[in-house]
Amino acid sequence: MSARSNPPSRPRPTKRFLFQVGSDAGRAPTGAKRGIGRTVARNVGIPVLSLVLLMVLWQGIVVGFHIAPYIAPRPLQAFQAITGDWSTLWPLVLGTIRETVYGFAVGALLGLFLGVIMARVPFLQRMLYPVLVLSQAVPIIALAAPLVLILGFSVTPKVVIVAWIVFFPVTVNVLDGLSHVDQDLMNLAKVYGAPRWRAFLQIEIPASATSIFSGLKIGATYAVTGAIIGELAASDGSSLALYQEHANSNLNTAAVYGTTMLMTAIGISWFLLVVGTEVLLTPWQRRSVARKPLFRHRQSALTPVGAEN
Amino acid sequence: MIDNALLELRDVGKVFGDTVALSPTTLNIKEGSFVAIVGPSGCGKSTLFNVIAGLLTPDSGDVVLADQRVTGATGHVGYMLQKDLLVPWRTVEDNITMAARLTRRVTANDRSEARRIATQYGLGDFLRHYPSALSGGMRQRVAFMRTLVTHQQLLLLDEPFGALDAQTRLEMQQWLLQVWRDTGRTVLFITHDVDESIFLSDRILVMSPRPGRIVADFENPLGRPRDISTLTDPDFNELKSRIMGLLHGKTQ
Repeated sequence: MSARSNPPSRPRPTKRFLFQVGSDAGRAPTGAKRGIGRTVARNVGIPVLSLVLLMVLWQGIVVGFHIAPYIAPRPLQAFQAITGDWSTLWPLVLGTIRETVYGFAVGALLGLFLGVIMARVPFLQRMLYPVLVLSQAVPIIALAAPLVLILGFSVTPKVVIVAWIVFFPVTVNVLDGLSHVDQDLMNLAKVYGAPRWRAFLQIEIPASATSIFSGLKIGATYAVTGAIIGELAASDGSSLALYQEHANSNLNTAAVYGTTMLMTAIGISWFLLVVGTEVLLTPWQRRSVARKPLFRHRQSALTPVGAEN
Repeated sequence: MIDNALLELRDVGKVFGDTVALSPTTLNIKEGSFVAIVGPSGCGKSTLFNVIAGLLTPDSGDVVLADQRVTGATGHVGYMLQKDLLVPWRTVEDNITMAARLTRRVTANDRSEARRIATQYGLGDFLRHYPSALSGGMRQRVAFMRTLVTHQQLLLLDEPFGALDAQTRLEMQQWLLQVWRDTGRTVLFITHDVDESIFLSDRILVMSPRPGRIVADFENPLGRPRDISTLTDPDFNELKSRIMGLLHGKTQ
């Protein structure tokens, strides 16, 4: 979980990730709409196809090697195991989602805050960095028991564990992003007479957007794991993790696999939500021309060049 | 002589550790003039600019702009570097209004002025483009428009065309002269390029390192308007050989 160094203000982003739409940055501005259908097909269709192939592979292995259902079920069996018990599972899924979302929100805000103050105050950076690394070296399982003692069997210990996991990559990436902001640009802001807070909001934050989202995406992928660990260690009887444990002790392997699929689906959905937010908030990464602004004064009729004299 | 000076430096000096970046310098810049500064690396050109812009506080002396002491204070000049410093997350229009956005709320007036100036100088079709879609020359033009709409009388341009190819650079120089004539600003222009300094300016300051100082101050005899033929004018060549002699006699 090391710092991703994404130097800010790279003019031509080339990285692509799942569900990226319309990567026309740097290309000729005309005809941007022409390939949208194909782009969506490529960016959505191919990832979906790869998931389907994974299922086919799973089915092939189980059938081909004559693996007994109680060792490993077929995909459809696992799927049926969860749909068959959906009324029990649904509230548990909602619970896990709630822990994930709350924990992620707390962790992301904490991570942002720590990243900003550590970037701003070098003394705090030296003071806090070892503590942060230490916090991640502590096995999270070992942390769960004391958390239950302190916070009880509520949603709180799970939120704390998720936040504990999420804040670290966010802090490291925010710190990294903020410390790579072009100092000439900050000087320019100073020459203009910009107050510190405006320079922070108008330059440092957008310049660090790529780094910040890297941290959030890493955090998002680990968030569900944190919630499940929390449920295992601090659950009073009804949670997705415990449901899976019961299925396991009953040799209901299909339900074990099905629950795992559910947990994974929660994780992927959350990751995609973060990616979607990034795509919405950083249009300059993919486009060469801005969309029509939603809230903006109407453009006044322009005087043609030369007509003013 | 000092009557219509827009900018006055009075014994302004700056030392970094053991290095005299700028030995005490006195200088008057006339309102509306175009003054070029040439000199090798380390001669204190950029230190001089940073002191005038208020990014550095001088160890001695005063900076006076339009009869006001502005030593060590920012927010008084337009400033542009070789790097265009356009922000990739803003469109051309929003980059031009950047100074306003950094100091106050951007108004409809700011935006219409940005659109007008971009249209006037040939970037009207690119207002909603992000900088990544523009060529180097276009980006520098946007950066210069951003400097213009700050409405500062004094513009400090630090090698603004240094990264451009020769052809684009010549176009940009002629464009800059046109804009300068249209807007009547006062320009201080740092360059490595002696041809460029003569082609553009009314006056040329030659600087030299160790310690950083102004070693010569030439009035430019060439008339205006200037075009390609200026570059082969006998006066041009004579001034060029004097400046070259100073630069290479001192540093080699």
